Amino acid sequence: MKTEQIRNFCIVAHIDHGKSTLADQFLLKTGAISEREFREQLLDDLDIERDRGITIKAQTVALRYALDGVEYELNLIDTPGHVDFHYEVSRSLAACEGALLLVDAFQGVQAQTVANAYAAVEADLTIIPVLNKIDLPVTRIDEVLEEIETVLGLDPSEALLVSAKTGQGVDALLQAIVKRVPPPQGRPDAPLRALVFDSKYDAYRGVITYVRVKEGTLQKGQRIRFMKSGTEHEVLELGQFRPGMVACDRLTAGQVGYVLTGIKELGQVHVGDTLTDAARPARVALPGYKKPQQMVFCGMFPTNSTDFEKLRDALQKLSLNDSSFTFQPETSDALGFGFRCGFLGMLHMEIVQQRLEREAGIDLVQTAPNVTYEILTRTGEVLRIDNPQQVPDAGQIAEFREPIARVTFIVPAGNIGTVMQLCEDRRGVYRSTEYLGPERAQIVYELPLAEIVYDLHDKLKSATRGYGTMDYEVIGFRPADLVKMDILVKGRRVDALSTIVHRSVAERRGRALVKRLKKEIARHQFEIALQAAIGSRVIARETISALRKNVTAKCYGGDITRKRKLWAKQREGKKRMKQFGEVEIPQKAFLAVLEAGQDD
Amino acid sequence: MQSTKTSEPIRLKDALLRSRCGAGAVGIGFTPQTVRSAYVHVPFCRHRCGYCDFALVAGRGDLVEAYLEGVAAELAELPWSFELDTLYVGGGTPTFLSPGQLRRLFALLTDRLALRRGAEVTIEANPADLLDARKRAALADLPVTRISLGVQSLDPAVLKTLERDHRPAEIHEVFAALRAARSDWQLACDLIFAVPGQTIASWQNTLQGVIALQPDHVSAYGLTFEKGTAFWSRRRRGVLTELPEDEQLRMYDVAIDRLTAAGFEHYEISNLARPGCRSRHNLAYWTFQPYLAFGPGAAWFVGGVRGTNHRSVFTWLKRVHAGVSPVAEFEILDAEQQARDRLWLGLRLREGVELETFRQETGFCVDELLGARLREHVQQGRLTVCDGRLMLTREGLHVADSVFADCVG
Ligand SMILES: Nc1nc2c(ncn2[C@@H]2O[C@H](COP(=O)(O)OP(=O)(O)OP(=O)(O)O)[C@@H](O)[C@H]2O)c(=O)[nH]1
Ligand code: SF4
Ligand SMILES: [Mg+2]
Repeated sequence: MKTEQIRNFCIVAHIDHGKSTLADQFLLKTGAISEREFREQLLDDLDIERDRGITIKAQTVALRYALDGVEYELNLIDTPGHVDFHYEVSRSLAACEGALLLVDAFQGVQAQTVANAYAAVEADLTIIPVLNKIDLPVTRIDEVLEEIETVLGLDPSEALLVSAKTGQGVDALLQAIVKRVPPPQGRPDAPLRALVFDSKYDAYRGVITYVRVKEGTLQKGQRIRFMKSGTEHEVLELGQFRPGMVACDRLTAGQVGYVLTGIKELGQVHVGDTLTDAARPARVALPGYKKPQQMVFCGMFPTNSTDFEKLRDALQKLSLNDSSFTFQPETSDALGFGFRCGFLGMLHMEIVQQRLEREAGIDLVQTAPNVTYEILTRTGEVLRIDNPQQVPDAGQIAEFREPIARVTFIVPAGNIGTVMQLCEDRRGVYRSTEYLGPERAQIVYELPLAEIVYDLHDKLKSATRGYGTMDYEVIGFRPADLVKMDILVKGRRVDALSTIVHRSVAERRGRALVKRLKKEIARHQFEIALQAAIGSRVIARETISALRKNVTAKCYGGDITRKRKLWAKQREGKKRMKQFGEVEIPQKAFLAVLEAGQDD
Repeated sequence: MQSTKTSEPIRLKDALLRSRCGAGAVGIGFTPQTVRSAYVHVPFCRHRCGYCDFALVAGRGDLVEAYLEGVAAELAELPWSFELDTLYVGGGTPTFLSPGQLRRLFALLTDRLALRRGAEVTIEANPADLLDARKRAALADLPVTRISLGVQSLDPAVLKTLERDHRPAEIHEVFAALRAARSDWQLACDLIFAVPGQTIASWQNTLQGVIALQPDHVSAYGLTFEKGTAFWSRRRRGVLTELPEDEQLRMYDVAIDRLTAAGFEHYEISNLARPGCRSRHNLAYWTFQPYLAFGPGAAWFVGGVRGTNHRSVFTWLKRVHAGVSPVAEFEILDAEQQARDRLWLGLRLREGVELETFRQETGFCVDELLGARLREHVQQGRLTVCDGRLMLTREGLHVADSVFADCVG
């Protein structure tokens, strides 16, 4: 394939603006799939994606498209819209020359639209603005076009109008892609340089490496070298996604496809690495990627301590498919042996947990998530803290630092006040407000990451009746007056319930937390004192009174089974409990920490 | 535990009984001769009381004939005739049936189930129904030896909350009339305490009044809120408020103290009797004896198998009339599960469980079954060992369900 006949582009947008649906249309219109094979959001092939109706993993597909008698190869990458998976977008951009920036014709420019547009500009791509969902009964096409101009600085006259649902405007869009997206540059005869922009584990084929050939030619049987890791392999198979894997003999400069080398572990392939010819290597590697940064951490413990090995295996297996979460063994007095896991965000955490439980059948007790902190000790050492248990004694701490993010909100003008209040309550530092039109505004705040990740998105949605959106980016660490708050149950500290909080809210949170715990922990045959403490100072307390009566006198009609079943059901409820001394603490109690934050 | 839902059109109970009681089952220690108790559920009431979640239909006298045929069909399945020491006709409200229907029911029963000499035959009765002399006369003609009256309370306000249809004065009338009808009847009273709005004083009055009636047996049950009842949703809506726990406990204690002071023996968690008047039928449940059962929702236990008939009266009717097994589910208990059941059921009795006998007959030690929990319960004064018997303490009675749940494992 001549490079002039190749177009590489990705589809980026705010979540749910219709990327995957548009990809479906491309597949249909170019005949990559037939009407019969069609199903909605065809590229979303993970169970979790189909369950939730969102894209988690970027997907690549090569399309054949004829225009004016010339056959073109269009390599399309569908990307996720959710902020947790933003790194997938950045990776995809580096494999393309163009980007379709999709904007919902009713909802208009949203926070991730802005984030993705900037990322595409930064990657030096040709951007085609596309208004989608024009079939909706109510659209705001004119206003949205204006937003594209004022907020994103793109020429509204270049925007195309489509409906990914009905197919309207999709042909014109395909033509525009061919005409506007520049063909790739590199020479097919130069030394090979192919960017590894993704990888995937397949139980049968091992690791599938996704590449974009920048220069040179990649061939079957060729001996190749990963320039960063230094390992060498033979190309056993290579090909394209159309959308199923279709093998071919070579991929030349500008093409996108996959390579199989017999590598069995995902960890051996580094996304961002450069593939070159082992015999005639390129001199310099392509610029790689920043590693995705884990934003939230939590402990995951098997409910049944004998499941520890099983959990380890399951985590290992899962990390084959998803290299963006981390896990390390951890011990807790309260919960025993488990793992401290790092995730890209709350959605990511939820997904991993769900897959562990669903695919591996392990009951988990999960502790409340926290962000990573930094502590400068009196001896000048900087500690990375991703677990409240690692916080040293107050006397050793010279400075306690927390991660700060720059948060961009796009909200209806009428909600500006509420959103600002939301941020002020969370120790936000105001940066700017900008009107996108008479109706909507973009507000920028700097907020502690800890105040964002857990529930700011939900709070924003409810404060703006669903119209507000947000995006954030970590900008660094800042000192803050932080303390570790411990929880004592019946006089004993339960390490897994410790949290790091800002001193100014410690008392309020402590009170809310013990109150919640009181609700979650069932009454026992003795009294249980619940205390929140900073160091040795108790800041809040509650008491769970002893269970005095538990007898249903009647055992009627000899229906023993029914009675026994009742107890069995209660026991089932106890399955997710952890015995701590004499006290049984249910799974929900460990997450109470989260909810106790705001709801008082 | 093997627990199975049945839907296949087989005469399941029949098959189970055969396999469990038949010649091949000698090892299990059950033969038709060892089954000496039976329960019959009469699923009719005039009206469903707000707290009641029993298997029944309210105000459907039109279904009684079909029901009687159904019972006949269930009885016809029995592979043998049995000889009973105890028969219990409960409900629902058995006295909802007309005198003729009652006679037919007993005729059906005694046709297949022979009553041994001195057998205890109990029928549950709604006091208001027995104001009718014809019903009393009908009972007097039947082999009934014991009448269990749903007195519940002698406080009009409490009876109103409970939606019962009798007045306190009528209880006296009924007692007198029953005594006059047959002096050898044993009369039992069911009482309910911890009813929303009920006071300790009201409860004490009821107890006093009941003692004055000189019944042979008293059961005192704390009201429970069951899912699916009107009381359940009224409590949720805040229309009904459950009494504070301490008050409930005090009522329980008061009942036991008053009644024992009046000469009743407290022999089971909520049952008290004059000497020699314990409910032999209920003792069969608590001492792990086998029993047959007929009617909707009826639970039976034979040869280590516990089964329950369909709780829906309509489903039960449909099934028995179609010749399909009415059994909704059954579980086959292995040796350990049997031992566990035997343990907690035995602990319901104040005399508790004789440890050595228990070990010999079940092959399990209580220590083994309860593990560390045994020591905990003993140390914290809920269980005690006395003369080789393990039993609940007075304290332990209050939290008996927690102890039982541990027994079940
Ligand atoms: N009416 C209408 N609905 C559309 C159109 N395009 C997409 N949708 C609907 O919008 C919803 C989201 O579509 P997706 O294609 O999953 O959106 P996405 O951008 O891929 O979402 P993420 O991958 O989760 O970021 C689905 O319910 C689609 O059916 C359109 O042109 N018209
Ligand atoms: S009379 Fe008894 S069985 Fe009938 S509804 Fe009332 S409580 Fe239930
Ligand atoms: Mg998608």
